[in-house]
Amino acid sequence: MSALVVAPVGLPLVVAAVLLLAPRSTVLARVLGIGSTGLVVVAASVLLARTLTGEVPVVQVGGWPAGIAVVLALDAFGALVLLLTASVTLLGLVYAVGTGEDRDRTFTPLVLVMSAGVSGAVSTADLFNLFVFVEVVLIPSYVLLTMARRRQRIAGARLYVSVNLLASTLFLGGIGLLYGVTGTVQLGQLAGVAADNAPAALAAALVLLAMGIKSAVVPLHSWLPGSYSVAGPAVTVLFSGLLTKVGLYALFRLWSVLFDGDRRFLWVLLVVAVLTMVVGVLSAVGAKAVRPVLTAHMVSQIGYVLVGLGLSTVAGLGAATFFLVQYVLVKAALFMVGGAVEVRYGTDVLSRLGGGLVHRERWLAVAFAGSALALVGIPPTSGFVAKLQLATAAAADGPWWVLLAVVAVSAVTLVSMLKLWNGVFWGDPPPLPAPARRASATLVGPPLLLAAGALLLGLWAEPLLTASTIAGGQLADPSAWVAAVTR
Amino acid sequence: MSLLVALAVLGGLAATAPLLTRILGRDAGYVLAAGFLGVAALLAAHAPAVLDDRTVDWSAEWIPSLGVSVALRLDGVSLVFSLVALVVGALVLAYCCRYLSDATARGPVYPLLTLFAAAMVGLVLADDLVLLYVFWEITTLCSFALVSTAGAKAAGPGRHALVVTVVGGLALLVAVVLLTLATGTTRLSAVLADPPAVLASPYAIPIAACTALAAFTKSAQFPFQSWLPGAMVAMTPVSAYLHAATMVKAGIYLLVRMSPLFAGQTAWSAVLITVGLTTALLGAVQALREHDLKGMLARSTVSQLGLLVAVIGVGTSTALAAALLHTMAHALFKATLFMLVGIVDKETGSRDIRELSGLRTVMPWTAAATAVAALSMAGVPPMLGFVSKEYLFMGLLSADVTPWAGPVAGALAVTASALTFAYGARIVWGAFGGPVEQPELYEPAPAFLAPAAVAAVVGVVAGPAVSLLDPVVDSATTDALPGSTPPSVYAWHGLSPELAMSAVTVVVGLVLFWQRERVDAALQRLRLPDGPALFTRGHDALLALGGRVGAPDRSASLAAHLARPLLAVVALGVAGAVALGPLPGRVDVGDPGRWVVVALLAVAVLGTVLSTRTVALVALVGVTGLVVALWLLLSGALDVAITLLLVEVLTAVVLVLVLRGAPHRLPAAGPRRWPTAVLAVAVGVVAAGATAALTGRRELSAAGTFFLDRAEELTGGTNVVNTVLVDFRGLDTLLESVVVGVAALGLLVLGTTTVPHPTDTDDVLLRVGTRLLAPGMLLLSAWLLWRGHDEPGGGFISALVAGIAVALRQLASGTVPTRSWQQPGVLLGAGAVLAVGVGLAPLLVGDALLTPFAVLPFLSSALVFDLGVWLMVLALVVAVVQALGARPRDELEREGVAA
Amino acid sequence: MTAAVAVGVLVAGGAYLVLQRGLLRVVLGFVLLGHAMVVLVLAAGGDRGGFALPGNGAGAPADPLPQAFVLTAVVIAFAVTVYLLGLLRAGAPDPDADPDDDARGPS
Repeated sequence: MSALVVAPVGLPLVVAAVLLLAPRSTVLARVLGIGSTGLVVVAASVLLARTLTGEVPVVQVGGWPAGIAVVLALDAFGALVLLLTASVTLLGLVYAVGTGEDRDRTFTPLVLVMSAGVSGAVSTADLFNLFVFVEVVLIPSYVLLTMARRRQRIAGARLYVSVNLLASTLFLGGIGLLYGVTGTVQLGQLAGVAADNAPAALAAALVLLAMGIKSAVVPLHSWLPGSYSVAGPAVTVLFSGLLTKVGLYALFRLWSVLFDGDRRFLWVLLVVAVLTMVVGVLSAVGAKAVRPVLTAHMVSQIGYVLVGLGLSTVAGLGAATFFLVQYVLVKAALFMVGGAVEVRYGTDVLSRLGGGLVHRERWLAVAFAGSALALVGIPPTSGFVAKLQLATAAAADGPWWVLLAVVAVSAVTLVSMLKLWNGVFWGDPPPLPAPARRASATLVGPPLLLAAGALLLGLWAEPLLTASTIAGGQLADPSAWVAAVTR
Repeated sequence: MSLLVALAVLGGLAATAPLLTRILGRDAGYVLAAGFLGVAALLAAHAPAVLDDRTVDWSAEWIPSLGVSVALRLDGVSLVFSLVALVVGALVLAYCCRYLSDATARGPVYPLLTLFAAAMVGLVLADDLVLLYVFWEITTLCSFALVSTAGAKAAGPGRHALVVTVVGGLALLVAVVLLTLATGTTRLSAVLADPPAVLASPYAIPIAACTALAAFTKSAQFPFQSWLPGAMVAMTPVSAYLHAATMVKAGIYLLVRMSPLFAGQTAWSAVLITVGLTTALLGAVQALREHDLKGMLARSTVSQLGLLVAVIGVGTSTALAAALLHTMAHALFKATLFMLVGIVDKETGSRDIRELSGLRTVMPWTAAATAVAALSMAGVPPMLGFVSKEYLFMGLLSADVTPWAGPVAGALAVTASALTFAYGARIVWGAFGGPVEQPELYEPAPAFLAPAAVAAVVGVVAGPAVSLLDPVVDSATTDALPGSTPPSVYAWHGLSPELAMSAVTVVVGLVLFWQRERVDAALQRLRLPDGPALFTRGHDALLALGGRVGAPDRSASLAAHLARPLLAVVALGVAGAVALGPLPGRVDVGDPGRWVVVALLAVAVLGTVLSTRTVALVALVGVTGLVVALWLLLSGALDVAITLLLVEVLTAVVLVLVLRGAPHRLPAAGPRRWPTAVLAVAVGVVAAGATAALTGRRELSAAGTFFLDRAEELTGGTNVVNTVLVDFRGLDTLLESVVVGVAALGLLVLGTTTVPHPTDTDDVLLRVGTRLLAPGMLLLSAWLLWRGHDEPGGGFISALVAGIAVALRQLASGTVPTRSWQQPGVLLGAGAVLAVGVGLAPLLVGDALLTPFAVLPFLSSALVFDLGVWLMVLALVVAVVQALGARPRDELEREGVAA
Repeated sequence: MTAAVAVGVLVAGGAYLVLQRGLLRVVLGFVLLGHAMVVLVLAAGGDRGGFALPGNGAGAPADPLPQAFVLTAVVIAFAVTVYLLGLLRAGAPDPDADPDDDARGPS
């Protein structure tokens, strides 16, 4: 069992090291990279099955006693996020074959290190260890950002690195202050500390602020469009599925453990969540190229997830978990479609594309339509079930303006997706020259698979809903996780 | 069970439609029509049970977690609506067999129409609120897809229709969610059986408002009516089926369905009657202004739907019976009229009444059918339309919202009906009246005309025979309004107020027709708001707003993005200062020597802030680092102090390498000096306050005590900090080495844009000094590595020392390491293998990750681990030197040096 | 108390530099902020250590855990700083761009 928990972290690191030492070969990199990530997906599935029964697999690194050792532990929420990120990494690597970005020697090792970092961040129960794991995720992302051939990639990288460095500094400061108040950085020992101790709450708030920057919460989201718009297509897909999700995971975990049911500050979370939803969707509707639109929608959907956190009931947290899982898949699909258009036609600016691609790129159009419907939340897609669940939870426990925001933002999302549809796919056959070959399976397959997944999840939502509800319940009452971690 | 079969058959037809069209071409429509009639027969077979007040239902669980099930239920109302949808659908599909060409038929039209029919039937059969919503949105999607088949010109109208109906759909979603909350169930029949629960809950008004909103958008009521005329860009069968007979009736269905809950409520009645009658008048006036036949029919649909909404609002049993009756009548005559207009369009190539003329001579049967349908629409006996209109008048007169509501409603309805008569006449006369101008035209083929003709004849026959429908209408009315006594439905009521109203309608209508030129002129001068244009303006305004909201994110200056988190920190600090209560007392040991160091620090920092030259800035930052190292010494953190010093030195070296060729003066401060300074000082104050308040107020932590007491016995090392790094928290160190390694990789990647270019240094002292020092420094590094476990030293410090040696060599001689084992990639890989290997090895014997063990009797795993770390940190330094010791390729090209 | 003032001074200076034009000052601002975090984290362990040189037994030994944290953080910060400086170097300024401002984000 402990090998299973360590595998998602250890295996990618080992394979990355091997790839660096091995002679240069794209085929080897693809085989090892996709193979090892596939194994991680399998491990994560097994772990999810175990955690759904209520078990909490635990690894005390180094064998030292509790309170001293760094502990790795997974509950249902962690296992779900682990499986989600591993799956996105796998599909992202396959997609990178299609876009050609993995021909660079360092691409696959960097992605593997990033994946190991995300897996570790999701598994760790030690706050400082979380800090280090987050850095392990960030550093490869800095390098991956500069590998694209887009203009202004250096400027985008500077923005991205600077903001994240600031966030890391604040994170470290928060950890320091929290240690100063409580004398420990072990999350199990910190359970509930912010609920009754005002100085600890302040330090925890600083940590949450840092995580908020990384999650692109409004008004700290401004770095996201500028950074994501300069990355390569596959890199953008990987970023969308991994980076902000680490921040969101940390927000959920830290809130659940540190603030443990304290309802005094939930209104702050709700206000921030609604603001994020609204500002994100408005920015999306005003953008003029595919990628900025999708990036702004990322911000908006993060707001939806945070609504669930702000409600802090089992129903709300379960809804947030379900929403998170399906939105990552849908968003990845949309970015893949946008990236495929860019790769084949050289641009993603709407005015230059001029529409009409549905005549040439039949499957991409289908993938886009399915994913866009899921993003807006139109039945019978997964986005609809997620929105229904969230709306129900919001109506039951939240103020009326939350429900109104959930619904209104949905309508504006429709306008934005329609703009993309008309600007890229619909209309008369395009004036742009057609690419020489048909789109490869690795370019079109992943988004199609994800769009089909969204439809499947919408029609047969019960398994994931049950899992999310269990995860939500464990977030609302983390006592089992805390007990396992401090044993 | 048969309800599920009905839906399954329809779904199956939709799925197999592409195959059918491949085999049969456009004639596949006949097969589909037969399928529709079969399903209708299946449903009608249950009619006896339904009419007997026994319900037919079926359900299966769908999403148990949310309490949603696939529940289907057939009662009177759903029987009426589903039969209308299926029978009209069959007629339209039969019509398609001659309207469409074979090529068009192979497109998505047939599958979409069939899918739409399945969704529509599902909608009226749904007994679960969420299921109802799902089908509602599916009909919206099908409508959008069908409108889009008209090509690029349909983008605007399609968008208009989609957005308006989806907004209404979202309102329905809100109503569904609130209803579920109020009653605790999603089962529609359960909700409707318990009106007090809904009305007493705090959500009653939002539910009613949202339901009405949803119905108004779907059924094109004022002020949402403008999407329907725009949707006429779709092909005629689509207009006939969706936008006349079925989809727009979904809103009517919803209002009828919800009547048990709201029918008695004054506000509900008032809103529905007002909106409905307004729409009826507005639609009729606009129809009279139109010249396009399809446009007239669209406006007419809007108007007729308005009458339906108004009469549902009245809420008495007579009114609801009238609504059901008129739904059937309207579906029949409107679909017929659309089909006939389509025939005219196909045969003559035009739909404009100003161009068409005298077609009654060349197409007499078509003309007859049109006239019959138009008479039904106008409410002339003995058509079904006449009977239903009589009941409409009856229903409106019985409105009891206020004493004068009935007569006023009746009067307005008469006005609308008179206008209806006028535009009905306009349609018939405009196309078929007047002199013949195209004598070469001829009657359409019988197969083409048949569906429309059949429907027209049914409209004639059903008028006098309407009492056959009595049981159905009865049952439906009691379902819509439980406990009421429905009126009996029969054709001739004798002399009654309604008959008088009909008479007035006909007379006024005839007058309007007789004076049609004057009426036309007057109406053309009337300026009405242009719905689609308004929508487009709103849409563009939304996009513009979005652009402005997103503008700050596109700011080019780094400071704008970095200022936001800093502001957030200040806000947090202020909130904390306000909210913080009493704090425990300070426990730290004061030390006057520290204040001197702090003063030095302040001076150095001030210097960095104020300096304007690059060299000064770098030097002062270095001084700051030295002062901090001094501070660390004073605090008893020896390892950290040494590491910080070494890092400072290396950073200085790197800065020198990076800044070669950079300008000596720093860029001038921007225009925002003072606000920046204020923000910076504020952040500093917050940081200071937080440090003062949150640190130094407790005894030594439990973990710290543990380490200080037991580290030596557990690990064998006396340097406690080092044991923490490599033994107790080895995972952190391992990961941090990975970070260092990836940074090295990153520099190598960046370095591909640079060219190794030896710099020329004639500093002999530096060269000689380096050559003397370097071996010594490497020895020092090895020694530091070895003793790290017990004395200050360890992996990082030793690696940094070695790194400084390497960097100095680069500075002095300008050469880069060329031997393969000195390449950063190799160093990195080797270090990673060592460190990760030592970490993972214990797993093989069942111990936890990173458990210390003895690799060899004198060689602990900690040392091997440290060696791995050493290699990786060294790799970073070498990579730095390689990447930054070179100059950017384009800079060299600019200087004319070949790459 | 001295720690608080030291942290405040370093943070204020670092924040000011980070908000300036010119990537060099931004990087050096982050260096100062990093130093501030070092002082802060050590202060969080309790300001209890005495002046430490080999052989000096004065003062209670300092909490080792924050020292380990700081060491890790310092090395990570060094790696990132070095990488950021590499970015500074790699983005050789466009001759047509504003020579005064090389800390431009993408517009």
